[in-house]
Amino acid sequence: MSLTMVTVVLGVLLAVQLRSTEPPEDTTMSIDRAQVLTQELQVLAKEQNSLKAEIEDLEQAIASATQGNEQAKKALQSEIAKNKIIAGITPVVGPGVIVTLSDFPRQEPPESNPQLFAVRDVDILRVVNDLRSAGAEAIAVNGQRLISTSEIRAAGAFINVNLTPVASPYVIKAIGDPEELKNLLEMSGGLAETLRSWGIGVEIEMADRVEIPGYQGARFEYARPMAKDGRG
Amino acid sequence: MRIRGFHWAIVVVGIALGLMLTTQFRINIEHQRNVTIQRVTQLASEVEKARQKHDALKNRVDELREELDQITSSPQLAQLRQKVEVTRLQAGLAPVCGPGVEVVLKDSEIPIQPGQDPNLYVLHDEDLLRVVNELRAAGAEALAINGERLLATSEIRCIGPTVLVNKTRRLVPPFVISAIGNPETMIKALEMPGGVLDILGFWGIRADVKKVPEIVIPAYSGSTTLEYASPLTNEGGDGVE
Repeated sequence: MSLTMVTVVLGVLLAVQLRSTEPPEDTTMSIDRAQVLTQELQVLAKEQNSLKAEIEDLEQAIASATQGNEQAKKALQSEIAKNKIIAGITPVVGPGVIVTLSDFPRQEPPESNPQLFAVRDVDILRVVNDLRSAGAEAIAVNGQRLISTSEIRAAGAFINVNLTPVASPYVIKAIGDPEELKNLLEMSGGLAETLRSWGIGVEIEMADRVEIPGYQGARFEYARPMAKDGRG
Repeated sequence: MRIRGFHWAIVVVGIALGLMLTTQFRINIEHQRNVTIQRVTQLASEVEKARQKHDALKNRVDELREELDQITSSPQLAQLRQKVEVTRLQAGLAPVCGPGVEVVLKDSEIPIQPGQDPNLYVLHDEDLLRVVNELRAAGAEALAINGERLLATSEIRCIGPTVLVNKTRRLVPPFVISAIGNPETMIKALEMPGGVLDILGFWGIRADVKKVPEIVIPAYSGSTTLEYASPLTNEGGDGVE
């Protein structure tokens, strides 16, 4: 009987031994990989839906444009209107968030050098970049609509946006899904938390109606349209 | 003797049992590992499929745009058609060309000293953001990273060693930022003392700036459907389509 016990224990020991010599699995890594891929899938699914909507729009425009000159005119006009929104020329309205960044809402800056932790151009850039990541469709900083060529850059005591100086408090308005915009900034370990720990005031307010002005100052001096091969 | 034989049998059975147990555990571990790997490969192939679908849909959009252009090519509509072209250019929905610069950014080659944080010496999304921002401040008229056109809504986000732009485009190093504009102004802005490349150089991040007489920047590759924003009328009333 004792021999039976001994051999079974031996078997179990063997098993445990072999198990512990297996290399430890890098579970965090595989979860991260899967997570990144899943997020990518979700975004791609969303993009596919909006591309489908775009295809429908264009098919409708083509269908009506074939019916006559008047309809063709309308189709082109709606193309123009759409392009002008994307270009940031047309003022827009929609739900979104209003983010306010301010220097030292508390009286005491964290360090002796107050400029070290005042709101810097790069802080605004990062907030804007996060809002873009979260799907913002239009953004303005202190009333300056951000278009594809807009800078946010320190120039002396001010920060220039569209070559216009702006100063603290910086009010960043964004149109998009209010929850998603807010959540990305407010997530644990996210940008809002980091900026606050530096003593920068960060307020994020969700709004049903955010108005964002247009910007008409874009110029093309160097960029030219490509000649389409075969036509024109 | 018979009792002894019986004992031997138990020893044999016991060892066999032990071996079986081991194999069983091994198979379990193998199986577990396969599941985590398979899950990732499965997801990766789904992403690949979704991306192909996405590109096909995007091609369809481009085709339809051209079709619309052709249908509306009558002389009476020439003025409006012209305006469509101009606004497409402004919106980044048409490819453009012109003189400009190309900036190639690479991770640091400085050997990391023990105790130093290697994270400080790799390229971050913030660095790309700063270079792009500097180019914008210096008057860049059209921008792309690794051939991906940047619009007002384009994010630049690090995911591990890769960078995600325009929500769905995953870029791998080296990162090449192209910008159309005045080459001298842009190069001067990038390379000024205390400027963005100076700061990146502190972390050992290498940047090659090159003046290019003619750069082609492709059209935006994503969708342009807006879900939340609608135009605001001049009267400040409700949005109209």
